[in-house]
Amino acid sequence: MSERERLLKRLSSYDFAIAEMHIYLDTHPDDRSAAAALRVYEEKSGALRSEFEEKYGPLSPSDENGNRWAWISDPWPWDNQEV
Amino acid sequence: MWVYEKKLQYPVNIKQTNPKLAKIIITQYGGPDGELGASLRYLSQRYSAPYPEVKAVLTDIGTEELGHLEMVGTIVYQLTKGLTLEEIRAQGFEDYFVDHTTGIYPQAASGVPFSASALQVKGDIITDLHEDLAADEAYKYRQLVFMVYNVSCCQNSTRD
Repeated sequence: MSERERLLKRLSSYDFAIAEMHIYLDTHPDDRSAAAALRVYEEKSGALRSEFEEKYGPLSPSDENGNRWAWISDPWPWDNQEV
Repeated sequence: MWVYEKKLQYPVNIKQTNPKLAKIIITQYGGPDGELGASLRYLSQRYSAPYPEVKAVLTDIGTEELGHLEMVGTIVYQLTKGLTLEEIRAQGFEDYFVDHTTGIYPQAASGVPFSASALQVKGDIITDLHEDLAADEAYKYRQLVFMVYNVSCCQNSTRD
């Protein structure tokens, strides 16, 4: 597994936790400990996202910073990174 | 509205092609209990949902299902990428190939194209949530079938 893939997997792990916490908080908006856990995950995800985008390019169109080539560049998410 | 992220919810990197398995898994893309149906079910039911909690949860789950749809499409894409004519013949992929080559088409394992007739939106919260429970149970059963199939005939097709 490449450094890029390792970083992407760590980022995805935090983003998965964030998505699940969001869904829980949809029906339990007054749960403060869950909201605090969400903030921790968001901070970790944010740091990893910045590191990834700096090294490998934008993850969303709003992060392209005027560099259209970086946004359209391979790999796209469905491209196999291990063959 | 939605904002696209240029990454999968979980990485997919398949070691070896397997068109036979792809023809089974594609039902999770466009079949009656697939991810496309799941997305449309939740994202369509939310308009008539009467409570804020339900509006929010249907929106967020429907969005996550779109991420699942992208992972399943990626699995089918990688399982069928760069097939030779011999592999297509040997693994019974001719019927899909003649219609779509190796494009990713939303269909059931049986070849029936995606249809909204496999989901329901009734505008009644109790009816709609029961329909969601039924769909989710069908999805869990489908996952079990995938696991059995993957272990018995297609080891080494996936990793991670």
